[in-house]
Amino acid sequence: MLDMVLTTGFMHLTVGNLVMWLIGFLFIYLAISKNYEPLLLVPIGFGILIVNLPVTSLMKEGEGLLWIFYHYGLEWEVIPPLIFLGLGAMTDFGPMIANPKTLILGAGAQFGVYVAFFGALILGFTIPEACSIGIIGGADGPTTIFTTVHLAPHLLGTTAVAAYSYMSLIPIIQPPIMRLLTTEKERKIVMKQLRPVSKREKILFPLVTVVVVCLIVPASAPLMAMFMLGNLFKESCVVKRLSDVAANELMNIVTIFLGISIGGTMSVEHFLKPNVILVFIMGLVAFAFSTAAGILLAKIMNIFAREKVNPLIGSAGVSAVPMAARVSQLMGSKADPRNFLLMHAMGPNVAGVIGTVVAAGVFIALAGR
Amino acid sequence: MTDWGLAVRIFSFGLSIVFGSLAILIGAIYAFGKILRVIGKKG
Repeated sequence: MLDMVLTTGFMHLTVGNLVMWLIGFLFIYLAISKNYEPLLLVPIGFGILIVNLPVTSLMKEGEGLLWIFYHYGLEWEVIPPLIFLGLGAMTDFGPMIANPKTLILGAGAQFGVYVAFFGALILGFTIPEACSIGIIGGADGPTTIFTTVHLAPHLLGTTAVAAYSYMSLIPIIQPPIMRLLTTEKERKIVMKQLRPVSKREKILFPLVTVVVVCLIVPASAPLMAMFMLGNLFKESCVVKRLSDVAANELMNIVTIFLGISIGGTMSVEHFLKPNVILVFIMGLVAFAFSTAAGILLAKIMNIFAREKVNPLIGSAGVSAVPMAARVSQLMGSKADPRNFLLMHAMGPNVAGVIGTVVAAGVFIALAGR
Repeated sequence: MTDWGLAVRIFSFGLSIVFGSLAILIGAIYAFGKILRVIGKKG
């Protein structure tokens, strides 16, 4: 009887386990009650809960269920590219093709990635760890996961949760920075309507982009190739079934495995460490600087451009599609109710995804050696 | 011990590649757009 009692989880519970349960419950609460990224926070929160049940061995190498999901899904680099396939099938590059100069705002918003990279180095993280922390500033969950799995897998749970948490907090993080860096007059700039983009242009775009980007940064190929394949599915209009599956069923299935795998990495021995707080702080720094850099770059563009851009669309250069673009729209319409910035902001927004993938590719190529 | 030389290389190379690749894409979009519009007019 005593032997039986000793084999139960109760005898092996630690304070750390209980703290992690609370974190898991908090995630589930935020998802259900506050609607913060519920598609991810529910499986992540549940993953945290079950991986911190003692003696269950769910993350035991070679046999644990969560370890199998993690190993074959994330370590084998299957899940992030599949998510990019779905994102591609959901993304309309039309606004960016109609006004290509907004692509540069997507590049400018990567500045925060490098600020956080140096910040993390100063705080004592190694170069591969600093790359994984810096990429949080790109506001792109799958790219953050892809980079971290390559460079600092022990930080996966932390960087993934930081990236998705800040993405859901974009409507809170960005507006004060946007107000601080723009004048009322700038926020009222009305941008002229975008030209219609032909179907041919939309079909050609993923083909040209995959060739250009993968030739320049081959390490970004898994994400970029799947992103553009998904977009080609969508724009070609001849494989509607594949496009629908990529954007819906496949995306949903992959999201389940992604969430529970991330939760599975957040065991007490991996997560309850002082440097987790530092990762969250640097992630916030990265987000703030990326937002600021996008806005400032838009203001610099206005010095030279004939047709002014509303600097509020610069902040959408942090990926987080389409939340960042919605924030630009909201701030613009507050300044002038006739201002309709959403489609203009979608340009830098999707350019930010490409920019973050490129930045990740460079990190992996240089720091992953 | 942090290899600051590598860190600076990652920063300078990374930011240049990000801007460079997106600048090339801008050029490609303008060029292909123009070609397609010319073809469209002729067609």
